[in-house]
Amino acid sequence: MNGEPLLSDGAWSVASIWFVILAGGLLTYLTRAGGHLLISLFGTIPPRASAALDAVPAAVMTAIVAPVLVSGDWAERVAIVVCLILSFRLPLIVVVVIGTAMVAGARALGL
Amino acid sequence: MKLADGLSNDMPADPASERKEAVRTLLPVLLAVLPFGLVYGAVAVQEGLSVTEAMGFSGAIFAGASQLAALQLMGIGAPVWSVLLTVFALNFRHVLYSASLSRHLGAFSRRQKALAFFLLVDPLFGASEVRAARTRLTPTFYLTYGVLMYSGWQLATLTGATFGNLIEDPEAFGLDFVLPVYFLGLVMSFRGRGSFYPVAGTSLLVSVVVYWLAGPPWHVSFGGLAGIAVAAIIGPPKAEPLDGREPVREEAP
Repeated sequence: MNGEPLLSDGAWSVASIWFVILAGGLLTYLTRAGGHLLISLFGTIPPRASAALDAVPAAVMTAIVAPVLVSGDWAERVAIVVCLILSFRLPLIVVVVIGTAMVAGARALGL
Repeated sequence: MKLADGLSNDMPADPASERKEAVRTLLPVLLAVLPFGLVYGAVAVQEGLSVTEAMGFSGAIFAGASQLAALQLMGIGAPVWSVLLTVFALNFRHVLYSASLSRHLGAFSRRQKALAFFLLVDPLFGASEVRAARTRLTPTFYLTYGVLMYSGWQLATLTGATFGNLIEDPEAFGLDFVLPVYFLGLVMSFRGRGSFYPVAGTSLLVSVVVYWLAGPPWHVSFGGLAGIAVAAIIGPPKAEPLDGREPVREEAP
């Protein structure tokens, strides 16, 4: 982002911006309802598919977190591993506070 | 309590406490999401959108990563279809969320379901799954969380778009780290499930590789799908699941 108002140079009309907003909103809603619609279409869920669905939270949320290990700075990598260990014992909110404080502290110290 | 919440009669959950739970669960997440909304609003106006248009994106799409990507593409003058394709692809992970969540919506009316899917963002998905594993997921809990999150996102966008760069550097406070730790904590609450370790291990590996090869947010869809595939291959557990999850009752709408 370079701060230049690129969109006002006529490449994007107001109408086309609103088209993107509405069509984008519709497409996004489609993804949000889509899984449910598919499941409803199939009616009953076979046991193997049910096992797969049971794994969705763990699989997806792990995938959300994982890049911290490679993209984060060292403070973040250390903090995420420490939080992983802590989360076996401590409640979620405590782990979030400790982890955030660790990262903020390391950055304040310029680590 | 006789509140018209559309709760079924067989449900002991008290709406007031459900609402309180939702707010309690949401607060730490808002801390991370609101600065992101401020940044989005500020960037959108810098890139030449009007305040109304910036709000339009937040109101209709309600998905930060894809909103920022759309801004970037529009900024370089990409064609409309490519912007829409990107928005769709970046939001594809929600298909997985709604498929899984679908089984916990027994207490929801048709209309509540329609609204629920509109509000389905990553943290709400996580919070609902954790809730559903422990107790019955109520519309009160879900919609309170979702509506508050949605309102917060709109307010943050409006504030960011109106006042520009209010938060100079949210990273100084470690705010960008709140969501990863939060999701880590949510993931760990599922460790009692049968195939947790192979599933999480696979997702971790694939997510890291895809993140490295293709960048965000592709790692979520591909990493997630890989873990789910492993669970499908392993198949259902033979004994009772250890996590104490109640059987889900399907109710006719």
